[in-house]
Amino acid sequence: MEKLSSIGQFEWLRNRILSKTTEDKSVVHVCMTGCRAYGAASVKDALVEEVEKQGLSETVEIRSTGCHGFCAKAPVIGFEPMGIQYQEVTPEDAPEITAKTLKENQLIERLAYKDPKTKVPIYHLDQIPFYAKQEKRVLKRCGRIDPTSVEDYIAAGGYQAIVKALTKMSPDEVIDEVLSAGIRGRGGAGFPTGLKWKFARQAAGQPKYIICNADEGDPGAFMDRAMLEGDPHAVLEGMLIGAYALGAAYGYIYVREEYPIAIDHLNIAIEQLQELGLLGENILGMGFDFDLSLKMGAGAFVCGEETALMASIEGKRGMPTARPPFPAQEGLDRKPSNINNVETFANIPLIINKGAAWYGMVGTEKSKGTKIFSLAGKVNNTGLVEVPIGATIKDVVFEIGGGIPQGREFKAVQMGGPSGGCVPKQFLNLPIDYDTIQKIGAIMGSGGMVVMDENNCMVEIARFFLSFTQSESCGKCAPCRLGTTQLLKILTQITNGEGRMEDIQTIKDLGETITSASLCGLGQTCAKPALSTLKYFTKEYEDHIKEHRCSGAVCDSMVISACQHACPAGIDVPNYVAAIACGNYKQAVDIIRERNPFPAVCGRICIHPCETKCRRGELDEAIAIRTLKRFASDWYFENIGMAKEPFPIIYSEKIAVVGAGPAGLSCAYFLSQMGYKVTVFESQKVGGGMLGIAVPEFRLPREVIEEEIKYIESCGIEICYNTPIDAKRTVNDLLREGFNSVFIAAGAQASKQVGIPGEELALSGLLYGLQFLTDIRLGEKIVLDGKVIVIGGGNVAFDAARTALRMGAQDVHIYYRRGIEEMPAWEKDIEEAVEEGVIINPFWSPGKIIHDKEKVTGIEFIGSKAILEPDGKSYIKVEKDRTLKVDADTIIISIGQAPDSSFISEDSQLERSLWGSLEVDSNTLTTNVDGIFAGGDYITGPTTVISAIASGRRAAIAIDKYLIGAKGPIRIIDEKTQFEETAGLALDEETTEEKPRIQIEIENPVARTKDFREVEKGFTEDQARIEAGRCLRCDLEER
Amino acid sequence: MNPTEMDWEKLSEILAQHQGKKWGLIPLLQEVQEGFGFIPPESIESIAETLNLYPSQVQGVITFYAGFSSEPKGKCVLKVCRGTACHVKGGKSVLRLIQKNLDLKEGETSPDYQFTLETAACLGACFLAPAMMVDREYYGKLNPIKVTSILGEYRKEKGED
Repeated sequence: MEKLSSIGQFEWLRNRILSKTTEDKSVVHVCMTGCRAYGAASVKDALVEEVEKQGLSETVEIRSTGCHGFCAKAPVIGFEPMGIQYQEVTPEDAPEITAKTLKENQLIERLAYKDPKTKVPIYHLDQIPFYAKQEKRVLKRCGRIDPTSVEDYIAAGGYQAIVKALTKMSPDEVIDEVLSAGIRGRGGAGFPTGLKWKFARQAAGQPKYIICNADEGDPGAFMDRAMLEGDPHAVLEGMLIGAYALGAAYGYIYVREEYPIAIDHLNIAIEQLQELGLLGENILGMGFDFDLSLKMGAGAFVCGEETALMASIEGKRGMPTARPPFPAQEGLDRKPSNINNVETFANIPLIINKGAAWYGMVGTEKSKGTKIFSLAGKVNNTGLVEVPIGATIKDVVFEIGGGIPQGREFKAVQMGGPSGGCVPKQFLNLPIDYDTIQKIGAIMGSGGMVVMDENNCMVEIARFFLSFTQSESCGKCAPCRLGTTQLLKILTQITNGEGRMEDIQTIKDLGETITSASLCGLGQTCAKPALSTLKYFTKEYEDHIKEHRCSGAVCDSMVISACQHACPAGIDVPNYVAAIACGNYKQAVDIIRERNPFPAVCGRICIHPCETKCRRGELDEAIAIRTLKRFASDWYFENIGMAKEPFPIIYSEKIAVVGAGPAGLSCAYFLSQMGYKVTVFESQKVGGGMLGIAVPEFRLPREVIEEEIKYIESCGIEICYNTPIDAKRTVNDLLREGFNSVFIAAGAQASKQVGIPGEELALSGLLYGLQFLTDIRLGEKIVLDGKVIVIGGGNVAFDAARTALRMGAQDVHIYYRRGIEEMPAWEKDIEEAVEEGVIINPFWSPGKIIHDKEKVTGIEFIGSKAILEPDGKSYIKVEKDRTLKVDADTIIISIGQAPDSSFISEDSQLERSLWGSLEVDSNTLTTNVDGIFAGGDYITGPTTVISAIASGRRAAIAIDKYLIGAKGPIRIIDEKTQFEETAGLALDEETTEEKPRIQIEIENPVARTKDFREVEKGFTEDQARIEAGRCLRCDLEER
Repeated sequence: MNPTEMDWEKLSEILAQHQGKKWGLIPLLQEVQEGFGFIPPESIESIAETLNLYPSQVQGVITFYAGFSSEPKGKCVLKVCRGTACHVKGGKSVLRLIQKNLDLKEGETSPDYQFTLETAACLGACFLAPAMMVDREYYGKLNPIKVTSILGEYRKEKGED
């Protein structure tokens, strides 16, 4: 390449390059940076070979490019001018791609992006949601040009901006343009770039230095890396313009050593500029001298801090110095210096080329332009994203990022790395800009966004960041050096289960001190991860300290295996799964019964938090734990049946339990196991509570619940049916009758009313969900025909709707005031209901019931939606101008249940809680009256079977403790079963063969709605053993 | 090569290129690190002389930066990413598995100088999480099966030598 000594020569070169790029040539863009780890190099080689073999070398160019952004689908390749993208391409695809797509313009469906829901292929880049919602300005060339080719950059309009600046603008005009563009530092601090330049220009002293901070050290950030790897010339052009504007004669670009590809590409680019004469003396004959060199970091995070970075360039230990003097006055070599971040420099050519007005067309009032984010963690579409500043977090994480994998719950997004904080769910609708994110305790930062889901522990995340900052603290100032050590120690103690409640206040105090007293940014911001998680996830801290519970099931000290920890009852899942894998089904059920006397029920209707947390789910799919439980317990009842003899009674104390639901019976079962005599009082004629009277036959067959109760009775528990505890025979009477303690588990069985006109009349055709289900379950003949409307979105609403279908309703509609994804009902039940023909109408609130003299004829709805408030709660907003009238023959209201406290006499000393139940201690379930305990749904409101069972066991432990006279809180920790099974470690098999989860068979929707047959089928023995063999046995991992 | 034996010739070649260079300590140390796989303690005085520094200044810089090591490293250097994205995607278990597989702890080198196990604050390969680097190769979306097979490959290479 010849040296260019004038603007004219540059123009000549540009024209020559443009004339060589023929429009009719197809170009295939192969990402050779990020995608390299997935074999992009062999894909490229295969394509080059095929194109040659099939004689297309003249018309097709295979180009190595930088990142295309959609890293989750690597390796990706793009086709121009077709504008399409193929994903997860392998070298084996090359012949077909060449023969079909390149030769015949045919699309290959297999390689296209598929809509995750509809599975419809989307070929065109601008139609793939990941790209469609982005605004690619800075990243426009990244992934389209060969980063090692300066010609490609020039052909794409590169170095036009420096030419414009040199020929048409004075240095002050350049600074004014940057100032009025309103760009703020993209490294995170957000200081206006123009202002920074102005200070450096005004500073006295020569020479001046311009420095590019490419020491991208924030864990979770990879924007700068992609920029440098994919479009290095854009950054260098920005530096050239900056150097011209502030009069710098020399520049450094400081890159971290962990980025070998970026360093290679930059070195190539710098060499090219030197050859072209765009670096050196008298650049383009315009009298502008500037040279630049690359400095490689040596692995110290603190060097991202500008004063430390300059010390490192000088070859010293990278320690920060106090400011002032600011680098603009005294920086590198004590000369005026200016430092900007990679992305900031990459924005500059755009501003000069297109002008400040164009630049400011996107962004917010105080923060102009776009921002690049690296999206990683628990999000489907990990990758590189560029959006206008002011886009919402939801846009980035859900619209572009495609949401959370495996349908898990979003917990928070970590922004700004170790200097930032966690942004929880309630802020999803907030715009991302410097000031807004700062206000809620995080920072926009350099652009790293790490998404966390329900399987992450926020205390542990805080500890993780502190361990990072503690080890990266340079040690120069005491607040940071000692403070990070102390903070880390406290956080480690909490995650180790050794925390104390006063630690929470210490973290806050210490955090404030470190923030205000530290020398540099590292120390000043290092407490943020702890303070922000503490602010938004206080309960997680408290649970770790008080209950030894880690909601993410992450902290080793309290978690043996994630599945066991996730189970409210704490069943030793891996051991019973292993027992099933070994064919030892009796042992499996024995293990389950150590914590849960309802294995067959939970094998059918448990919401299985264990499966959500299953580690195998990270690999492919979770183990089908629930269905395995069903298999083992069904086998047990078929082959073994009832207990051989009741539990022996050891103690003289007697205990009464009010309510024979899952909580009451579990409490009775475990007390009885401990050696107490227990009597259960049940007002209904059948046991099981909600299970016995409300859960429909097609989800839980009658004989299953009957057998479970019979088994519990066979263990020696006495159940008195049709024996209400009420005003005639009160709880106090039970104590007087000689019971030493009473556990109240009366359930939540009173249907809530909506409170709309018409509801107060005793209309025919107006039903309440729970009562309706109970009537049918207890054998009452209810004939439904015509149109049924169900109001509500919970499990009872769905059970009612599906039951209505089976009772002969012509069509069944569910109306719900929020969106479908906000329905509390179990997703599986929603899917099954829709399959059966139930129609769901979201965003409608009931307005009034329309009726004739005695009968329901229809209902009027008002439009509504849920608004998420910054306090984390969501409120219903009614849209009065949107109304809907529908005809109905039957209306079933299922908007929730409340406890029925009518059995407690008015003069009872029992202290009531706000929602009509009793006030209890959440740890020991004690009421204000000595010896009386209460739990289950009655206390918490409707929850799940497994929570009720856990509550019953907690009560049993608390009552035992009370009876033996011990004081203090109880602590229920995960324990290994006494029946350990060491076999079945899927990890030890050195096979890479895939073992997908065995799908559970389901009855055909048309056939099943004709009667009340059980919808779901269980596993066969073979299926169960294979599925159980998939378990990774996390419990056997060494800790 | 026996890593404990000092190759003075190689050192003086490197030093010759850096004689008296301004701000040259870090680039010089990087070259020594690259050439020897570590910075031999006996080289410190010569390095100091080359750049007109005190040996203590050189030592101070070596200990400050994680990129420099005064102990020899193995043929394959594994850098397991401990960044946020890898962390939330189970990087800890990956590290644990590798430790078990190689029987090495963080920062240790195998007695036969084949493997060194290190961790990196963040490899900037978050889209690959959980990720690691073996020498200059990136490996991503690691799971137990993948880790076992990658380590197997590097062991095989070693066996063929």
